Amino acid sequence: MANPEVEAVDFEPEDDDLMDEDVDGAASPRAPIPKLKSAITGGSSSSFSAAKKTKGRGFREEATTADRNARMSAPFDSLDSEGGPGPERSIEGWIILVTGVHEELQEDELLNAFREFGEIKNLHLNLDRRTGFVKGYALIEYEDREEAEKAIHEMDGTEFYTHTIHVDWAFSKGPFKRKNMRRRSPRGHRSRSPRRRF
Amino acid sequence: MAETGDENAGEFYLRYYVGHKGKFGHEFLEFEFRPDGKLRYANNSNYKNDTMIRKEVFVTPAVLKECRRIVVESEIMKEDDNNWPEPDRVGRQELEIVMGNEHISFTTAKIGSLVDVNTSKDPEGLRIFYYLVQDLKCFVFSLISLHFKIKPI
Repeated sequence: MANPEVEAVDFEPEDDDLMDEDVDGAASPRAPIPKLKSAITGGSSSSFSAAKKTKGRGFREEATTADRNARMSAPFDSLDSEGGPGPERSIEGWIILVTGVHEELQEDELLNAFREFGEIKNLHLNLDRRTGFVKGYALIEYEDREEAEKAIHEMDGTEFYTHTIHVDWAFSKGPFKRKNMRRRSPRGHRSRSPRRRF
Repeated sequence: MAETGDENAGEFYLRYYVGHKGKFGHEFLEFEFRPDGKLRYANNSNYKNDTMIRKEVFVTPAVLKECRRIVVESEIMKEDDNNWPEPDRVGRQELEIVMGNEHISFTTAKIGSLVDVNTSKDPEGLRIFYYLVQDLKCFVFSLISLHFKIKPI
């Protein structure tokens, strides 16, 4: 892993800039960097407070942070959910995410394979904006949970047009990295899973 | 690449904002992926009828991982906004990403097209930003529109 060293060198001039800013900031009550971090952390994870290599003008504009906090503090709508573990139903059905999709895959190839588990209500096979090829993922909607479940069960980890694809729920009833991680699907601990490769 | 090995390591946070303040007030689009899986989407357009869309939903680790993959493959973390056009009255964009032990918070003006990219002082870097933002928007719009059955824009 030679890379972190290279990055560290890249970041050094920026760190200097930020320190200069801090000196300026001492004259006024603003403290852009800590504010930004606490806004993001939002109490969700302690590892955010670990020292990070920072880069960008956004760290030097304290107005940005105040604006953002104001925007994001207003209430957000969500579908009624009982919370807890497990997949979340979408307004008209159940959405699954397919990843590792071959960049030259056609929509009908995906349709043909996945309609085996139930009628596909919606399919998004998005393209890479630069290359025009498939970006690498697809979102598929089924009406019934059982259909989506079956698609996940049958297709996850299989080879599909020379690529190993992964299939999983797209939405969840609640946050992860907390309790109940393993009950969210038959597959369990996915965030740390070593077999997922892109 | 080292990044591939680091792909699963550490926290991931991503926020994108584009907006401007004009005769229709503060119009903006903003979304964020939080480390616990919460995806938030806000779109405030006062043009015609004022419509404020604010939605949030929890996504699975698989979705967050795909978002992360898109970011890693773009190599945006190696870029710097030093030479990008500064936000102006026409508008501003912000892209903030926390990945592993790196934290970027880039700002720039609105980019109308590749012409703006190519005539900037850092066309390579800005091009990466330009396409990444489009790919991220595309991903988020699909997620939000499928889950809530709304047209995000």
